[in-house]
Amino acid sequence: MSVTQNPDVEDTSDNSSELIARIEEYYKGVIAKLTGEEFTNQFYWSIGSVLLALVVSAVIMVMAGYNPGVAFVWLSYGAITKLDQVLWYASPLILTGLSVALAFRCGLFNIGAEGQLFMGSMASALLAYLFAFPIVVHPILCLAVGVLAGAGYGFLAGLLKAYRGAHEVVTTMMLSYIAILFTSWLVSQNGPFWDGSMVPRTPQFYDTALLPVIFGNYLHLGFIIALMAVFGVDYLINKTVLGYEMRAVGHNIDAAENAGIDSKKKVAIALGISGGLSGLAGSTEIIGTFDRFTANWSAGLGWDGITVAVLGNNNPFGVLAAALFFGALKAGSNTMQVIAHVPAEMIKVIQGLVVLFVAAPRIISWLVDHSQTAKDAVEKEPAKALPWVLAALFGLSSVFIALGTARNIMVLPTLTPMVLVSILILVLVALTGILVFVTEFTHDPRGSFLLLIIAVGWLEAGIAFYVGSGTIEVTSLIMSAISFLFWFALNFLAKGTIEEGEGS
Amino acid sequence: MNWRLINWQSQYRTLAVLASIVIGLIAINFMPVEQQAIAGWLVATTLQMATPLVLAGLGGMYSERGGIVNIGLEGIMLMGAFTGAAVAYYAKDPWLGLLGAVMVGGLFASIHGVACVKYKGNHIVSGTGIILFGTGLSTLLLELVWHQKGQGEPVTNTVPDLMFPALLDHPFLGPAFSVISPIVLFMFIITGVSWFVLFRTPFGLRLRAAGEDPSTLDSAGVSVQWTRFIGVVISGCLAGLGGAYLSIGFGSAFAKEMTSGRGFISLAAMIFGNWTPFGVLAAGLFFGFLISMNYFIQIYFPILLPFANFIAMLPYVLVIIALGLIRKSVPPKAIAIPYEKEKKG
Repeated sequence: MSVTQNPDVEDTSDNSSELIARIEEYYKGVIAKLTGEEFTNQFYWSIGSVLLALVVSAVIMVMAGYNPGVAFVWLSYGAITKLDQVLWYASPLILTGLSVALAFRCGLFNIGAEGQLFMGSMASALLAYLFAFPIVVHPILCLAVGVLAGAGYGFLAGLLKAYRGAHEVVTTMMLSYIAILFTSWLVSQNGPFWDGSMVPRTPQFYDTALLPVIFGNYLHLGFIIALMAVFGVDYLINKTVLGYEMRAVGHNIDAAENAGIDSKKKVAIALGISGGLSGLAGSTEIIGTFDRFTANWSAGLGWDGITVAVLGNNNPFGVLAAALFFGALKAGSNTMQVIAHVPAEMIKVIQGLVVLFVAAPRIISWLVDHSQTAKDAVEKEPAKALPWVLAALFGLSSVFIALGTARNIMVLPTLTPMVLVSILILVLVALTGILVFVTEFTHDPRGSFLLLIIAVGWLEAGIAFYVGSGTIEVTSLIMSAISFLFWFALNFLAKGTIEEGEGS
Repeated sequence: MNWRLINWQSQYRTLAVLASIVIGLIAINFMPVEQQAIAGWLVATTLQMATPLVLAGLGGMYSERGGIVNIGLEGIMLMGAFTGAAVAYYAKDPWLGLLGAVMVGGLFASIHGVACVKYKGNHIVSGTGIILFGTGLSTLLLELVWHQKGQGEPVTNTVPDLMFPALLDHPFLGPAFSVISPIVLFMFIITGVSWFVLFRTPFGLRLRAAGEDPSTLDSAGVSVQWTRFIGVVISGCLAGLGGAYLSIGFGSAFAKEMTSGRGFISLAAMIFGNWTPFGVLAAGLFFGFLISMNYFIQIYFPILLPFANFIAMLPYVLVIIALGLIRKSVPPKAIAIPYEKEKKG
């Protein structure tokens, strides 16, 4: 007996050491990816986008009459002190973000993660309160059923896309609305799973079904599951044949077809897996955070998943970072609202701006490149290059001053039509200010013409305000004078350089 | 039966639509008076529900015909709705409100245009950003302007309805058309104008070329970037108008996230309408009809109320069936592909 057992034991130890070696190899691969150039570039872009978004949102806050410094301090204070809340908010976002990212990798835009999430959470909710199971088995079964329900729902859209050519943006979105309406009917007064209270919801789950809290007051086991999913999806996309084929389909569907990949099958499978991840997000939330299914409980976790995937550049680890960032914003926003009295909606503005800047990474490279050339030019010939830079800075400051003045006028007690016109002109001046900054920063010859426009704009805003209220607005007159000055100076300089060029 | 016998691609289609409208009107004329009133009410509600969808859908069409996907319509509509309400509230003039909504819509879309056309960003990503930014900013400004959460103060100066007293006595036309918002009429006019612009003007040809084959447009000496950018801005203007209809045309106040997914439904209407103006109009009216059926059942068939959710689902189910089983939609060829000029060697 012992003789026959020994090889077995050796065999398993061999397997385990091989497994350890593979894990180590995988770990090294992850490290290499994190320190690679592509990733660091992406990282800089993301950080740059976040910083730019914070700057723009600070401008909006100033316009709205809040103190951005205080707001940001309390935002970060809240995010740091409430670590458990940050991770708690982040865990479903990680899963929905992975769901959207995985579909993106296969060239599909799964806009309906919300619906798959509702289907998954409904399925596990039913299992959690209708059936009794032992303590560890119950949550596992709930999660499995949730994943299956979400996957089936995603797979339906995948089949429609693959074999009927129905655009997945439309079908997943429509399916998502259907899921929300259907689940809210199931738990409503007329539905079969209503608990009899005033609220449309199911009865309470069995205690055995709930996921344990692992840290702080909120953070449940779902976070660990989400972390495992990050590694799982990374492995699936980068290390398996299926993942390779899905990426090939997403990259170029014709080339993939020619290489012998059944692209239709891959599309359906990709949306199925994507739906399964969304379903998992719903399941972990419903048995981790809640103890019953309430109609419309999610409030946009699936939609946020799109944003998270976008911000994480559809890379599993990027998704993890983006979800943590969003969780931090969400956790910090409560502190910000309570102490700095800045509405929590500001967070959505920041998120939108971050995504907008992420959308166009060239904005940041544009800014970096031209800052470099401007710096070089100033160092080489300060007398010639400085006026341009100053004019650019003037354009930028003119944006802030115009918006600030517009705000100051807006809170005046009397708003005559002419004053409204003055506000409108100021807003237009602010827009022109952005253009002035862009043109002057790039040494565009059209810049001087824009300076003339902005000068006239400032003057007209002042005149309109004077006509409307009878008092003189000093700021706009000063700004007008400065911009006229810049216009003259730059025209003079430009003439000088042209003559110089002709002479030589 | 072979459906191909009906040649839907020819001018007979227009004729068939007109004939069915006429036959429908005649048929309604023979119905009992109460039913005519209900039918009239249904038509009026359909038009009300369809207007924002059609306007935003037409906007999306301009953008996508030029090759730029604009899924940010939802955010742009919300900003339009807010601006319309805020300007009408302060300036006490609804037309200024509409103008402001159109301008802000165009401005918002131009952010998307700059990100997608100039900086060649990902259209979906940028559109998501526009949705988030528009939703957040409109809610933030709502609190700022009216110092209320959820819903702003009612605007007294909403867009005045057009009255046709001559129709008032007719049992069907009275409830249907005697009181009608001018924006509903704009919807029809803009649809016709869009058709003309898109298919009968040089600009329309250029816009379509920018979406189908930008390199040809470029070799014809027309700037692809500007053509696409203008398409995006027009889309924002129309979506802003659609949003303003919600806050100062049909309703009389701005509420938090009041578009409730209409931007997405109008995208579906655009795809359903196959990226053509009259297609978008038909799809938008159809969706509007399905939404108004929901109200219809709540008012006239309360027995069915327990199943209201299923009736609300109907438009979505029908869209899936239609797209999955009946027809394939063909988007412009160069959609979502940034145009890079070939570098000189």
